[in-house]
Amino acid sequence: MIGWTDEQRTLRAAAAELGAAVGKDHLERDATGEFSRDGWALVRESGLLGLPFGTEYGGLGADLLTTMYVLEGLGEACRDGGFPFSVTTHVVSTGVPLHRFGSAELKARYLPGVCSGSAIGAHAISEPDAGSDMMAMRTTAVLDGDDYVLTGSKSFVSNGPIADTYLVYARTGKAGAPDAITTFLVERDSPGLHVGQPMGKMGLKTSPLSELFLDGVRVPATRVVGKVGAGFLVLDHVMKWEILLSFVVNLGEMEHRLRESVRYARTRKQFGAPIGSNQSVSNKLVDMRIGVETSRKWLYDTAEKLVARKNVTTDIAITKLVVSEANLASALAAVQVFGGYGYMTEYGVEKDVRNAVAGTIYSGTTEIQRQRVAAMMGLG
Amino acid sequence: MSRIDEITRYVVAEFAPDIRADELDADYDLLDNGVVDSLGLLRLIGWLGERYDLPVDDIDLAPEQFRSVRAVDAFVESALVKGPAL
Ligand SMILES: Cc1cc2nc3c(=O)[nH]c(=O)nc-3n(C[C@H](O)[C@H](O)[C@H](O)COP(=O)(O)OP(=O)(O)OC[C@H]3O[C@@H](n4cnc5c(N)ncnc54)[C@H](O)[C@@H]3O)c2cc1C
Repeated sequence: MIGWTDEQRTLRAAAAELGAAVGKDHLERDATGEFSRDGWALVRESGLLGLPFGTEYGGLGADLLTTMYVLEGLGEACRDGGFPFSVTTHVVSTGVPLHRFGSAELKARYLPGVCSGSAIGAHAISEPDAGSDMMAMRTTAVLDGDDYVLTGSKSFVSNGPIADTYLVYARTGKAGAPDAITTFLVERDSPGLHVGQPMGKMGLKTSPLSELFLDGVRVPATRVVGKVGAGFLVLDHVMKWEILLSFVVNLGEMEHRLRESVRYARTRKQFGAPIGSNQSVSNKLVDMRIGVETSRKWLYDTAEKLVARKNVTTDIAITKLVVSEANLASALAAVQVFGGYGYMTEYGVEKDVRNAVAGTIYSGTTEIQRQRVAAMMGLG
Repeated sequence: MSRIDEITRYVVAEFAPDIRADELDADYDLLDNGVVDSLGLLRLIGWLGERYDLPVDDIDLAPEQFRSVRAVDAFVESALVKGPAL
């Protein structure tokens, strides 16, 4: 078990305070699908957006485990599930790849905006005909003088409607080859870049998402992030961080949900006894607890392995699968424990089910994670 | 066994089990010819990192470095110069 320092605990408490403030009007904003601009102003002030990045860029220079621990606190306190999703998307979509693969010039120019939150980040990988099979993407980038010209469309871009900077993955090589994809930094006001309308969705309604259309967008070759043809490797690095940072937020949410469900099961009486005294109810709570503990172990063990520079390709796939499925199971169980109140919108329990379904789809679906583990076992 | 032989054996065992190690030319294009796909690339990098204790997370990775057995060998050589993983 990791022993957290006072400093780490203080950072987490600050994130929790922030999360509680942002989440205050979560039901109203979930109903209207509104991103919290006030929340973004608060998170900018807090310094949280620059947690894992170097102080020379305005970041806090925290390590991966500290960053996760603080984000877990945000998830535990923030009832607006879409908001932390936008926060982690911002951090991992632009900050993480720039920090690891960006040229000195790109880092100096763009990382301060990531850390301060003045330039919201997003990444565009999925396409109408290339979701799980991202290597089949059709968006092309063709070198023309000192620029690449990007043409194509992207289907689901989280933060798309509010972003200032997009990391767009496009094909520069032979379709399907591992060296076919390159990562480009594209500014929102680039001529030929069209951001679609926010798309309605089942959950995470307060985190806006849109399509992106690239119609001959010229991007200077200096804005390639990583090497030409290294987009798949850039994305692999991003996905490790995305899974750890985004799903540790879900761990915090599960912890909160478990606590509330136990409290309810101990106080809600039917047939003259607390509902939690029935084993069929307490079993659900025990399973929720197992989900929390298993998720915590997978998340932090995998992070420790990553920090120790071990190969985590299999671990990260298992972590993603375990935590996203545990979160969904926990959200469904909570609705059942709360009964009719769980099902009604105004109690805020059912919303978690809608949010949790998304986690089994983005960052690679549950099925694809199984495929990955199988591939790493030399199968398929 | 030389390092290049060891890498050849791994590539054949993992990605081309139908051929013998001595049939794989060290310059054969593994990427263009579909021997190593994107997930295969991750497996190969993971194996190299652990087998040779390479700081793969500190290196500016590019698929070019894994195009052929000879390229992989050169990658390991240059990564070792940078020092073992901490
Ligand atoms: C809330 C949300 C936010 C998102 N944010 C972003 C973002 O910011 N940027 C971005 O680029 N994308 C984003 N996505 C897109 C997401 O990454 C894709 O939806 C996901 O990769 C699946 O692709 P797809 O939707 O095209 O489904 P498909 O790939 O068409 O899959 C459909 C079904 O078939 C299954 N399937 C497909 N192939 C296989 C296989 N080989 N074996 C077994 N089953 C298989 C899948 O698991 C799934 O159940 C987001 C999605 C959601 C829901």
